[in-house]
Amino acid sequence: MYHGIFSALSSKVTIFVYTNDKEYRDVFSYSKRIFLTNELEEADIALITDKRSLKSILYRLKVNTNVSKKPILFVTDYHFLKESDDIVGAFYWRKGRSQLLFIKKRLKQYDITLPKEYQGFLIDAL
Amino acid sequence: MNRKYFDKFIYFLMVLLIIFGLFLQFATVKSTDKLKTEEIEQAEHYASKIAKFIQVRTENNIDKILKDNPQLREHLNEVLQAFLTKQYQYIFVLQKDEKGNYRFVLDGSEKDPEEYKALFFPKSKLFDTVYMTQKMQIIEQNEGVEQIWLSLVYPIVNENKTEALLVLDLSESYGEHLSNFNSPLITVVWMMQAFLVLSLFLLVFLAYKYYKIHKDLIIDKLTSVYKKQYLEEFFNDKRVDNYHVMLIDIDEFKEINTKFGYEEGDIVLIQFTEILVATLPSEAIVVRIGGTEFLVISPKEAGSIDEQAQKVFEVLREKKYLIGNEVQHLTVSMSAMSVPEETMFIQHIERLLDEKLLEVKSRGKNGLGILGTKQLNEIRYTNIDYIKEALEEERLLCLYQPIYETKTKQIVKYEALVRLIDNEDPKKLITPYYFMDVIKGTSQYIKMSKLVFQDIFTTLRTYEDVEISVNLDLDDLDNADMMKLITHNLYENRGIANRVTFEILEAHEIKDYGKVMFYLQQLKAFGSKVALDDFGSGYASYSYLIRLEIDILKIDGSIISELKHSPERAKAVLRSIQELAAIFQYELVAECVSDEDIYEMLKELDIQYAQGYYLGKPRNIEAYLGKKE
Repeated sequence: MYHGIFSALSSKVTIFVYTNDKEYRDVFSYSKRIFLTNELEEADIALITDKRSLKSILYRLKVNTNVSKKPILFVTDYHFLKESDDIVGAFYWRKGRSQLLFIKKRLKQYDITLPKEYQGFLIDAL
Repeated sequence: MNRKYFDKFIYFLMVLLIIFGLFLQFATVKSTDKLKTEEIEQAEHYASKIAKFIQVRTENNIDKILKDNPQLREHLNEVLQAFLTKQYQYIFVLQKDEKGNYRFVLDGSEKDPEEYKALFFPKSKLFDTVYMTQKMQIIEQNEGVEQIWLSLVYPIVNENKTEALLVLDLSESYGEHLSNFNSPLITVVWMMQAFLVLSLFLLVFLAYKYYKIHKDLIIDKLTSVYKKQYLEEFFNDKRVDNYHVMLIDIDEFKEINTKFGYEEGDIVLIQFTEILVATLPSEAIVVRIGGTEFLVISPKEAGSIDEQAQKVFEVLREKKYLIGNEVQHLTVSMSAMSVPEETMFIQHIERLLDEKLLEVKSRGKNGLGILGTKQLNEIRYTNIDYIKEALEEERLLCLYQPIYETKTKQIVKYEALVRLIDNEDPKKLITPYYFMDVIKGTSQYIKMSKLVFQDIFTTLRTYEDVEISVNLDLDDLDNADMMKLITHNLYENRGIANRVTFEILEAHEIKDYGKVMFYLQQLKAFGSKVALDDFGSGYASYSYLIRLEIDILKIDGSIISELKHSPERAKAVLRSIQELAAIFQYELVAECVSDEDIYEMLKELDIQYAQGYYLGKPRNIEAYLGKKE
């Protein structure tokens, strides 16, 4: 699932993903395209799964403006989307149903155009 | 049990087992489905109540009232929460925003309820369908959905406008609970089905065994053609008269076995049957009825008997066999016939073909004999049902052959001779040669005798000067029914019984003379005469003259015929009989007088009476009395 989402978000051949969540790190261990990185500054995408990491990452990105590149932020909680306009989308579960969404305006700021199969998950605003 | 019925019974049992197995499966699935349907109906009932409650509390304006009233939202969430039991995983209310996205307006979840207007992607297009059609839908679990068995989506409608959707998610665990509710029954059903499958296998196995044994019983192992046992089964559901039958015997096959050994002989037999089967029409069957004897049953529609038999005969005769290093020919003796209509039993045909085959063999083998109409008639006339029908319809008459006084050449008596009338051609009369042996000892014989006596006494009553002699088998005297019939007729016609002569015929030697004499006395008591028929041949010996009180001697035709070939010797015998007759005061009748020479010799010998074709054939009595026939 994440392999598809991240491939949709980044057109790079090799995508570096930053995440603090150990469980999610295992998800990518067999991917040939997605690699994990421990450095936020090196990451193409940051996958944020808990509030603490969210705050930490948002803070680091806010403070350290010298960061050469800004990772695309993707979260696993609907509520996190409200914390920053830099977060482009989320994948989470509601009432036993998987929920995937991308916010149009936020994708635009990263200059991301989603492939056809993900167009249906685009929303204008929360 | 009849093979045909056994087959049907086996198939019936198999179908019954399969139907029973399917029924069990259907019944348990239906029972589980019924539980689920009831649960869905209950959920629908709840949904309707909840929807109505929400509409009442929001005064039919969900959007506006709930937007401005968080307390009411909280209250309604609590109400939804009250319905959350083990059946329902989630109960919530959704609304579509202007962009077409679904958003929560109410959520009955106790833990982390969704905030008002939070986005929701339902994972099913049926939500939109409910929104549009305003008809409740049951949505089954889709990909990307967990812990939910079914979703009941109920439209909350106000003035034909769908305001919101009430969603009741039935939990997956409850669905499993329902599925497992019938699990003990399902286990029993499963066990029964397993038992049924095993029974089915057993049945198939037994049927296979039966067919194998049956096949061994009816198929000849060496030649792979049928055995004789199959004939009865073959004709179980087929009419014998739809077929031609051929009987084939390989000539001098013993020589092949002797010269080349039994193993080579068997190979030749296999090749022989192969060529025989290949020559015949596909519907024909070959039955090995003896070591080298084969019976062929071939349908009439495949061609005439002459064509079919000739073809088989030629092919079998021309076939060459390589035995060892030698090329050999086999010749066959064959008899064949087309089974006449109404023939009931193949055994009759076999007997006739067997006789014909013997005839072919006696003519030097390597030949084909096809049975003609005479033999075919024989089958028809020897059929007990045919005779029975003739007697029931009283298709019987007596012909009368005159007995002449030799000196005056005047008729003194007539011998009554019974005939049956053909059912197709009334002019065709059937002689006792065909039917007498078949009915002897049966009730039909008594029936026939009754009709004969009826005819004789009617004739005697009609023509006062006529005397009639009638044949009586020695066995008839010992038959209580027959004697009762005779004595009854004699008593009823006691005034004319003295004009009847009983000609005693016998097929075996008399053992109890006292008994025979007693019976003859009964006949003579009515004034009837007793003649000894066929004297001078077979059992009718001189000893009878000593022990039996008879009135007439009928000299056997074989002695009379000898007057033609050995007149002097025959005359000597006749003179001696004449002397005896004079002593015992018997009247003498010469039978089989076939020409004038014999008649003149009898006249010269002074034999009193004569009978034969020269003097008069068996005809209607009116023909001799100068009346219209």
